[in-house]
Amino acid sequence: MMNANNTTNADAPILSIRNLQKSFDSLHVLEDISLSVERGNVVSIIGPSGSGKSTLLRCASFLEHADGGDILYDGQYALKNGVYAHRSELNRFRTRFGLVFQNFQLFPHYSVLRNISEAPILHGEDKAEVLERAMELLKKMGLDGKEKSYPFQLSGGQQQRVAIARALCMRPEILYFDEPTSALDPELTGEVLKVIRQLADEKMTMVVVTHEMPFAKAVSNRVIFMAGGVIVEQGDPKEVFENPREERTRQFLRVFER
Amino acid sequence: MSLMTMIVKMSEGLGKTCAIFFLTLLFSLPLGMIVALLRMSKVKVVSAVTRFIITVLRGTPLMLQLLAVTYGPYYLFGATVARNKLIPVVIAFSINYAAYFAEIYRGGIESIPIGQYEAAEVLGYTKVQTFMRIILPQVIKRIMPSVTNEVVTLVKDTSMAFTVSYQEMFTIGKQIANSQTSFTPFLVAGVFYYVFNVVVDYVMGRIEKRLDYYR
Repeated sequence: MMNANNTTNADAPILSIRNLQKSFDSLHVLEDISLSVERGNVVSIIGPSGSGKSTLLRCASFLEHADGGDILYDGQYALKNGVYAHRSELNRFRTRFGLVFQNFQLFPHYSVLRNISEAPILHGEDKAEVLERAMELLKKMGLDGKEKSYPFQLSGGQQQRVAIARALCMRPEILYFDEPTSALDPELTGEVLKVIRQLADEKMTMVVVTHEMPFAKAVSNRVIFMAGGVIVEQGDPKEVFENPREERTRQFLRVFER
Repeated sequence: MSLMTMIVKMSEGLGKTCAIFFLTLLFSLPLGMIVALLRMSKVKVVSAVTRFIITVLRGTPLMLQLLAVTYGPYYLFGATVARNKLIPVVIAFSINYAAYFAEIYRGGIESIPIGQYEAAEVLGYTKVQTFMRIILPQVIKRIMPSVTNEVVTLVKDTSMAFTVSYQEMFTIGKQIANSQTSFTPFLVAGVFYYVFNVVVDYVMGRIEKRLDYYR
């Protein structure tokens, strides 16, 4: 479903966040976060646990209620000075992004195909078209023949690839990954990262919260290092990983060298 | 009176026993969901009042509730006692069972991970779509064993209608037992309830099996 608000504005970054703030009671999880994501870019967010990386993604996808700041999609305000746009507006913004969860969150009572295809069909898209698209996505995810399976019959890596297909079937303009491989056995992370890498090659706009440093370095156009609710450092992945400016970044990266 | 005559006479009340059973399920299963949603309401007054009502319904004997619904209006307002006792009986049973079902539903709903709601929200499901399509089917599967328990109990609880002299199977049996000074009608009643529950078990087992296609 296309509407006036879904027209793309080539000049504006697809996502802009300005001075975003979020507290849980007295704990400041996000303090004055600003960042923007340009079309076709892959941004990785790294940092210690509790640094606010996931909260940032959850604010961008409206799962958490930010306390202050701005969130803009394509230059249009979803959050302005801590005030959210009307619910119907937010629903329109929701069609722009997809989110892949750490623990997949597939619907266990639906077949793989229905997991992927139900939402777009509910939104009024042509059923046959959606099903065809879903089957193509399954193939792309290396899951041909799995359309009739149920999530419990799949490995974690396969489930996460279904979750990625489900998000893609909504045809988002930007895709968020919240630690997509953290719930997986080590031998299964590769197949999920490979799929994300493939999407990056196709110029899919993505923000990936991850602990997979080599992956972040190889795939991203930009790396953001967060700690204590602030962006400590960001820039070219080669720079951030090989020649970090901040002591806090060096400290964090040292842990991964061992 | 021969055993056969007893069985025939008591069988005549089985229709009424079944009426209590099926009508109670028909009303209490959906009513329980409404009560559960009120119980989980974010409006504190609503959830507190609902919670209080549930504790009363679960904390007092069903027999007392039957008497209250059947004769309460007469004592309170001088209203005539319903000629067809099925009405007050089904009302009392439905309200009482709704309270139990409500707590089962609540437990089931609260056991669904919050991530399921979030996944649906990001995919643009409305609140109603999320509940009806994503949450409720999973809840039903999870609560089936507890619901079966309640349904089995309901079969046996229908005998409580004798307190308001509603002529269902057990009431008839009790009358025969009194007039014939015989224990046999109670044995007959026991067999009737047992067979009824064997059927209930079978049906509920079939339903659970049909929900076995996922985990």
